Amino acid sequence: MKIKKLIRKAESYLDSDERDRKEKKKYLKQVLRKLSDHEKKLQARLVDETDQDERAGLEKKLALVHAQRKKGLRLQKALMDQSKE
Amino acid sequence: MIRKILLPTIFAILAYGFWLSPDFKTIAAGVAIFLFGMLSLEEGFKAFTGGLLEKLLRRTTDRLWKSLSFGVVTTTVMQSSSLVSVITISFLAAGLIPLIAGVGIIFGANLGTTTGAWLVAGFGLKVNIAAYAMPMVVFGVILIFQKSKELKGLGYVLAGLGFLFLGIHYMKEGFDAFKDDIDLTAYAVSGYAGVMLFTLVGLVATVIMQSSHATLVLIITALAAQQITYENALALAIGANLGTTITAILGSIGSNVDGRRLAGAHLVFNLTTAIVAIALIYQLTDGVDWISHLVGIAEDDYTLKLAVFHTVFNALGVLIMLPVIQPLVDFLQRTLQARERTAAQPRYLNASATSLADTAIEAVRKETLHLYDNAFEIIAGGLRLRPDDIRSQRPLKEVIAQSEDVPHVDIDELYELNVKSLYSEIIAYISRVKGTMTPSQIDDLFALRAAGKDLVEAIKDTKHLQKNLDLYLHSDNPAIVKRYNAIRKELAAVLRGLDRVRDQGDDSAAILSLDGLKLDMKENDARLLDRLDKLVRKDKISAHMATSLINDSSYAYDVTKNLVKMGEVLFSSGDSGVRSIERSLALDVDEMDDLFTETKTNIERML
Repeated sequence: MKIKKLIRKAESYLDSDERDRKEKKKYLKQVLRKLSDHEKKLQARLVDETDQDERAGLEKKLALVHAQRKKGLRLQKALMDQSKE
Repeated sequence: MIRKILLPTIFAILAYGFWLSPDFKTIAAGVAIFLFGMLSLEEGFKAFTGGLLEKLLRRTTDRLWKSLSFGVVTTTVMQSSSLVSVITISFLAAGLIPLIAGVGIIFGANLGTTTGAWLVAGFGLKVNIAAYAMPMVVFGVILIFQKSKELKGLGYVLAGLGFLFLGIHYMKEGFDAFKDDIDLTAYAVSGYAGVMLFTLVGLVATVIMQSSHATLVLIITALAAQQITYENALALAIGANLGTTITAILGSIGSNVDGRRLAGAHLVFNLTTAIVAIALIYQLTDGVDWISHLVGIAEDDYTLKLAVFHTVFNALGVLIMLPVIQPLVDFLQRTLQARERTAAQPRYLNASATSLADTAIEAVRKETLHLYDNAFEIIAGGLRLRPDDIRSQRPLKEVIAQSEDVPHVDIDELYELNVKSLYSEIIAYISRVKGTMTPSQIDDLFALRAAGKDLVEAIKDTKHLQKNLDLYLHSDNPAIVKRYNAIRKELAAVLRGLDRVRDQGDDSAAILSLDGLKLDMKENDARLLDRLDKLVRKDKISAHMATSLINDSSYAYDVTKNLVKMGEVLFSSGDSGVRSIERSLALDVDEMDDLFTETKTNIERML
């Protein structure tokens, strides 16, 4: 069992496509975390904001970061699916 | 002229030597194989510079001891002070580390390079290293043929080490056989005359071989075969140290001011060390004997004692120079000054960085930022605004209101003067970047080249916009003046927004927030169409004016689109992998249209 695991690890290291995917997943995770933090901050600001124009601006920013995060999650899923194949 | 004669002369001397003695041929082949090994080793380590080395280097700028340790450790591991120097120069040129850190690294590298003598004297001569060399070369070469960048790099390192060992083996063999025919110690010169003479020989040998490491190995193997005296070997080691300085100075001639300052620091360090070592050679020899006795080195183990001497006199140099490092840096900055540069001249494109992918990418990024600064001035001027006002905290309404006295700028002339040639230099530099690159590094370079093109496009769109802007800004019709001022304000907001994000390059959320500027501009464009209808209906502006406004609003959107695309690439200072992800998460035209429709509906619902 251990040897099989070792061979699988060695294979995944030598497979450059798989290594690229792993690397991409790692960086994507970092960026998604930053976007998520940013989204939370914007949501918190929106709760406290009373000015109508400012609220509209914040809503727009939230919609943008949400769209980008959704795009990122789609990419993450695609990478996962490729790894499974 | 000298260079033209030098190469044939060296060839002639070597050929004569080969004809005269087969043993000399073995020694020379040993040196050649050793040097080839060093080249291979450098090539191998370059494969790993994509990240780790640069990250380490960035972190060694805050404290002098860190820079010094970086120099010692990297040179010890890579056994090549020249690669460390190249990376240091390219980082200095890219403005990533201050001069004092660069000088610290060079001092450390001088100390780190002394470990080479220990390895050869302590390990290389004591065991049959050829036995290790052969498999290393074989495994190394097989790995070089692999596709993976890391395995290829490992192959170069392994083959490099193998060739180094093989080179040492041949030098050792050659000297051993040589002593049966000729006794070189007959040419030994004692006393200060000998010290001076052999220092000069060591210096010349290093300049020819371009490697103090090779000279030192040659000295050690000759010393082991008792072909030179211990006393003369010490002088040769001093000469080898001085010789690297000449190599560094020759290398810095074509370099920028940072390279010349670093070579200056190298010269001062090695010259001081050499003078002190020559003046105190007998005291140092006694010191070496004492240390050798202390660490258990045999009285007659002259090769190890030479290694001790090499370390001691370089450490002495560091001890002498460290307290005066700040005055030395001040002196170098005072005496070696940058040539006057125009806005169009490149500042960061350093030829020495072309073989280090990550550093070259950073140099291109910095230079394209310089291009952005030039473009910023032109676009601001095209809008009849002062760049400083845009960058200030003042409300944009006020900035626009107080910009009546800003003169007209000739965009074509400024483009030719400050953008075109700089952009060409960047493109030419990108084509010169060599070495193996990862897909994301290649992506990075392409994206940076495209960012330059986006800047050029933004300038061209501003030029189209400028024509009507100049015409209508001084019109008697307040409605059209107001509309054109609105476009100016919107574009000034884009430029200001870009400038704010520029300083937050390590925050992906900030970089991606630039898409918001495109969204704003799209909204402005849509709102304008509604307003124009009303203005034409109420006869406030003519249909001709309305057409101009529609066209110019579209130019303003194009300027924004190009600048945002450029900003998303150029301002991001994270890892190459992070930059690649940011680019893939930025919204494309269709996604932006969807978002625009979505936000419009939401806002209408809110109101």
